[in-house]
Formats: sequence, structure tokens, C-alpha cells
Amino acid sequence: MPETIDALHRANPRAEMGLDDAVEAVSRAVRAQLGTHAALQPRSRSRRRLVRLSLALAGCAGVVAAVLSVSVGPSGAPDAAAAVKKAATLSAASAERSGTAVVRLTHDGDLWAGTTIRWHGNDLSVASDSPGRLGKAGSKLLVVGGTLYGIEPEHGGWMALGSPKNIDPGSGTTPAEYLAAVRDDVGGASLERITGAMLNPSTRRLADGSTVYSGAVKAGLIARETGFKEGHVIRVLPFGFVAHGEAANPASPLEASVTVGADGIVRNIGVTWSSWAYSVAYEKLGSSPALGAPANAPSLPKLRRQRAARG
Amino acid sequence: MKRSMSEDRRQRFDALFTAYAPDIVAYCTWRASSASDAQDAAADVFLAAWRRLDAVPDGEAARVWLYATARRVLANQRRSRRRHLALQERLAAEPAAAAAAVPDSEAMLVHEALLHLGARDREVLLLAEWEGLTPAQIGTVVGCLAVTARGRLHRARRRFRSVFEDLRAEGRTSKERPLLAKEGPEHA
Repeated sequence: MPETIDALHRANPRAEMGLDDAVEAVSRAVRAQLGTHAALQPRSRSRRRLVRLSLALAGCAGVVAAVLSVSVGPSGAPDAAAAVKKAATLSAASAERSGTAVVRLTHDGDLWAGTTIRWHGNDLSVASDSPGRLGKAGSKLLVVGGTLYGIEPEHGGWMALGSPKNIDPGSGTTPAEYLAAVRDDVGGASLERITGAMLNPSTRRLADGSTVYSGAVKAGLIARETGFKEGHVIRVLPFGFVAHGEAANPASPLEASVTVGADGIVRNIGVTWSSWAYSVAYEKLGSSPALGAPANAPSLPKLRRQRAARG
Repeated sequence: MKRSMSEDRRQRFDALFTAYAPDIVAYCTWRASSASDAQDAAADVFLAAWRRLDAVPDGEAARVWLYATARRVLANQRRSRRRHLALQERLAAEPAAAAAAVPDSEAMLVHEALLHLGARDREVLLLAEWEGLTPAQIGTVVGCLAVTARGRLHRARRRFRSVFEDLRAEGRTSKERPLLAKEGPEHA
């Protein structure tokens, strides 16, 4: 028996499999995630909706970082790499103040799902543009001056949900912390994590002076999150959109592009596969207007009292 | 105060990673379908640990917690793969790390013998012999009583010995199989 078990011990693949390199790779991946993604903050069920919103923001930045990252790998032209790195830096500086991100997922040219995010300082708004979601509860969220507003499901107007801090006491996460994570990520902190993954990168100059960097990127670098839907494991694009078709296979090469404006700021991230197209368009980075609180938004307790009074 | 708590949290996580990352990466490597899947899974395990750091016990129990989490992550990964990937194509394109690491005929015999064990018995045997877990710890990882784990381990060792000796007597190996990379469905 001991001789047999000794043979089993000798067959342990630990010593043969380059464990140190693998541990280092895992360490890099974890460090990058810890440094950049709001998703790594403690979560609780009571704040799931807010977290989802925050994840969306983090994911928004994540796709920028991912695509930018893969654009600057060793297989790309050095000039392109430098330009993209510079764009990430400039975009981060602008995004620190304010910005708007318009996310679209289309299928056969038709809008499948969409979200528009605006932020200004520590205020932010998220609006779902997805067909069938307009005006419904959860279709819009707003944080202004430390107060969270949501859509009142009965009439579709705004209601004040109170301080986000009160929604999830003790979690250690606030919208401000999430926004800080997003801004860090926009700056390309994920560059270390993903390198050299863009296949056959090419550069194209447009008439308006902007430059498009494009090439194939593995789907797993774009749809990095996994989740569950109706009991099935799914891959999830940033903003919580389900990755359909080839995008669900992390190994599938998807066509990705990064458009950098003539001013050197990232304008658009695009990913296409079969009949699907996913894009994140940045507008007014650094120059988005301030967000206003909805006027006369009733508080949640007040709404409950009104409903109770109506019987 | 908040910053201090954040630093404490980070320090504790760093200590956890430093102490146990090699174990968890090794475990994921022999259980995952490919080296890259193993690294993804190991990273997910530590990200889960970061998110739930308050729930991670201290000391040796933390190691067991990480193994249990890794087991669930790998189970999720396998379920996902079954739906979304052409697994055989993937394995063909990216050989499993464990299979690629098989160095000699004795190791081939070992892996072949392991294939003759049921998935559960194989799991407890390798958790004991490759990962150094006690039956009680194995019970925690796989979600059974310690006495059940001990029973499975006893049975697995006996079965493994029998098959290994038979194979050695026959001088038979099967080099075509990727062996440990192809485990059956999880029942986590």
C-alpha cells in the first residue's frame, strides 16, 4: 500500500506544472481586479440594485480598459500602442470630472438593449434605453447630492429612496467609491492584466481626424463576468447584458475597435460578432452638465403612507 | 478609521493569498479543463475571498474554506463550459495542464488507475494525497460528514491500489487520454 501511494504522490502534477508562473499570473489578475473593479467591494442583497448599477459603471470602464489593453500588446504597432495609452490617460483625466457613456447592444441592426450613464462629480444617473423597460421601476436611477432616486412603479415618476448609505449599512460601499473605481479603471489600470491579445491589429484614420484601432479580441476579455439567468450560467457583457452567440464563448474571436478622437480622447468602443454589435460611446468627457435632483419627488415612506391611506 | 480598516482588510487578504495561492492554483490546475481555466478559477476564488473576507475563517480553516470555494467555482465553470463550449475542440487546442504534465510511465499508470475510480472517490483521494487534507477537512470541502469522507478515502485507497497493481502487472497505459481533465458532472 505505501508503495502504491508513494507512486500517487510522485504523480502529483504540482511539481511539473510551472506552479510559480501560474500563481504569479493569478496574482496579477487578482491585483488588477482589486485595484480597479467596484465589483470586488463587499456586497449584500439589500443593495443589489445599486450594486448592479455600480457594476454597470465599473463594467463600462472595464470594457474600455480591456479593449485598450488588448490594443497595446506586443503584436500591435508601437505607435498605436503609445496612442492608445495616451488616450487612456487623457480620457481618465476628463472622466474624473464628468462624462456620459451610451451603451448599445444591437441584433440585426435593431436595438436589443441599451443604457445611458451620466456622471458629474459624485452624482450619477443611469437610464435603461432597452425596449420594454422605459418608464418601469428600475429603468432609471439617480444619485444627486447623496440621495438616491428611483422610479415609482405605480405612476412612473421619481421617488426619493434616501441615502445610498442607509440602503446597505456597513457594506463599506458607496456610489462615490464605485465612481472612484470607475475612474481608476478608465485610466487603464487593467493594462497589466491583458496584454498582447489583439490579433492582427490595424489602424485607420478617419476624415474627422479620429483614429480607429481594430483587431480580433477573445470574447472572454469583453464579457468577463459570469452570472445566472433562469438557472443557466451565462457570460455577461458590461452593463449586465447577456452575451449571446459567439460572445458567450470566451475563446471566440470578436472584432473589436477603439476610436480615439482628434483630441486624443477615447470616443467609442465597439465589438461585433455575427449579427450582434456592442458599443460604448463616450460623450462630453469632462464637460457633461451637472445633474439635477427631481423636483417634488416623494419619499418612499410618504408613498407607503399614501397607499396605506387609500387602503 | 475607515482607511485603517481598509488597510487591515487588504493586509489580511494579502496574507491569505501569499499563504494559500499555490495550494489553490495547484488544486484548480488538476481539476480544470485547461491551464487558463485553472488560473481564471483560482483568481475567482480569491476575488470571492476578498468580497467575503469577513466570512473567511482564520488559520488552517481558511485553507479549507478556499478549497471549498474553489470546488464550487470549478463546478460552475464546468457547467458553463458544457453549455457554451465545444469542450473537445477546446481540449484539443489547449491540452489540459495535468495531462501535459504526466512525465513517465509510472505517472501514466497512476492517472489510468485514477480513472477507474468514481469521481467522488477520486476527489477525496486526491484531496488527501495531493492536497494533504484530513478527512474532516475533506468533508468540509465536499460537503459531507468527516466519517463519510473517511469511508470514501479508505475505499478509494483500496480501489486505487488494486487497479494500480493490476495495471502495473499488465504493463498497460493509455497515453491518449487527458485523464484528470475530464471529470464527470459535479454534484456540489
